[in-house]
Amino acid sequence: MSVSTSSPAPPDRGGEHLAEAAPAAGDRALWVGGGLVAGAVAAALAGAVLIAEEPVPGIAVPGPIVEFGLPVVRVLLDVAAVAVIGLSLLPKLLGFDDPARTEPVARRARAAAVTAAWAWAGCAFVTVVFQAAELNPGTVPTPASVAAYVSDVGAGQGLVISGATALACAAVGLLAVRFGESVPAELRIGVALFGLLPIPVTGHAVDSVWHDPIMISMELHVMGSAAWTGGLLAIAVLLAARRDLLAAVLPRFSRLATLCLVLVSVSGLVTGLSTMALTPGVELPGAILTSDYGLLLLAKIALVALLVPLAAHIRFRLLPHVAARRATAFAAWAGTEIAVMGLAYGVAVTLTRASIG
Amino acid sequence: MRRLLTVLALVSAALAFAAPAALAHNVLTGSDPKDGATLAEAPERVTLTFDQPVRRGFTQLTVTGPDGARYEQGAPEVDGPDVTARVAPLGPAGEYVIGYRILSSDGHPVTGKLTFTLTKAGGGGPSVAPTPAPAASDGASDAAADAASDDAASDGAASDRAADAERRELSAQAAEASQNGGAGMAVLWIAVALVLLAGATVVAMRRNAAPAQGSATAQGSTTTQGSTTVDDSATVQDTATPAGKE
Repeated sequence: MSVSTSSPAPPDRGGEHLAEAAPAAGDRALWVGGGLVAGAVAAALAGAVLIAEEPVPGIAVPGPIVEFGLPVVRVLLDVAAVAVIGLSLLPKLLGFDDPARTEPVARRARAAAVTAAWAWAGCAFVTVVFQAAELNPGTVPTPASVAAYVSDVGAGQGLVISGATALACAAVGLLAVRFGESVPAELRIGVALFGLLPIPVTGHAVDSVWHDPIMISMELHVMGSAAWTGGLLAIAVLLAARRDLLAAVLPRFSRLATLCLVLVSVSGLVTGLSTMALTPGVELPGAILTSDYGLLLLAKIALVALLVPLAAHIRFRLLPHVAARRATAFAAWAGTEIAVMGLAYGVAVTLTRASIG
Repeated sequence: MRRLLTVLALVSAALAFAAPAALAHNVLTGSDPKDGATLAEAPERVTLTFDQPVRRGFTQLTVTGPDGARYEQGAPEVDGPDVTARVAPLGPAGEYVIGYRILSSDGHPVTGKLTFTLTKAGGGGPSVAPTPAPAASDGASDAAADAASDDAASDGAASDRAADAERRELSAQAAEASQNGGAGMAVLWIAVALVLLAGATVVAMRRNAAPAQGSATAQGSTTTQGSTTVDDSATVQDTATPAGKE
């Protein structure tokens, strides 16, 4: 839809197009976002059942509220963070050359990024409370017990830092809402990525000389998956109805997504397998099939394997049509891919909590 | 796109220097008695050994008999990678379950159980309702006894001692606080959050104060696009900073 002519007809047509698209866009946001959340929560709950602490005589374990609430809140934290990253990336993907066309979308992205950042911060602080409750089974968490948890345990500190960075994201996002794209997109992306850095601390690594390389691999994994999922989410929700913008944005994102796919697969395999290999008492390759950790790792590999054909379909079948501004089923394919990514996030949350041995 | 990749590259490079230390999940590497052991004589204590130091606090270690009664005595003691609990004289012969839940060095709880079988009934009964922290109460009674004897010796010395203890307590608290970054950090974060809230409110108020502009925004880009085609570059500049117009 070109805007360059000065006759009244094209803007009118554009208006109709947008008027039709507006409710549809709301529906799509619901379906795509709902797919991500539903996939993530479903996988996190299934994982919680899988790794449930078996009852041990005489040992107090947390009740079902913590057992199932913790993974759900934790995965919602991931989803919110992913949304912030994706919505922050969107202006870069849109480009700044044609604000007349990109600005309506960028404006919605900026507002949504602030909301998602608040959700991220909220989930982080609720997760801290749940994790404190997990260590004090049979008691209701008090401010004192939560404070003690945060001061004693690195995972609590990591979540607090991540939540605080999310608040900083909201602050920068609010500046962007107020002053538009004059707030550098790189700043927003940088702050959001910084908020992801403490996330791996909330999981576990191994105690070995390979600790630092594995940590870097984990960080790359977290950032790569957030950029990939978040970028696709932002595009599917905000751009699927805008063929003109999609034609410009999707090819750019496609390159980023390819990079992310490679990064996420390699770093995930390195992290998962080396963590297992370096844990005492774990025999590879047998433990992959016998331990919960190994099975969860296999589930993630299977989900990535499922993502590849979906991504390839969008990249090789749909992209040429999208670039030619033809109608495509991009939204449906992207929505499916995002739901699978949601499942992977749910499994990931389980993996960070599962015993390795 | 190139700038984006540059940002990603810079962040990744920063990582190489600032990778935070996630800690490992503790794994049980050994125990005394061993898992599945068959014993003729009841052990006096149970020791679990992990691959790395266990964090103090949040530790549970229990011994449950075939009669369902509990036989551990007192709170478990953590010494490096070892967690030890004293065991009361065991009761009937049969399978005993050692249950544990410790705080792994990565901050996750690690739960598990081991079993051993007692072939000959011991003379003991269950340790009735394990006392929550006998070590602590022992210490307290020791201190009380000490204080009492001091009291007998000289009042001045006792008060000195009390002051000394108080000082030690305070310095321990200070050390802990400085280790944790103290409450100052929390206050700082709360202050930051409040400033943000204030900022959000200001923005919301301003947007509400300009409803005309807001509705134009809500109608989508119909007007924007139309006016852009007519007014060209000036409007383009405006739309780049939509909230800054009025």
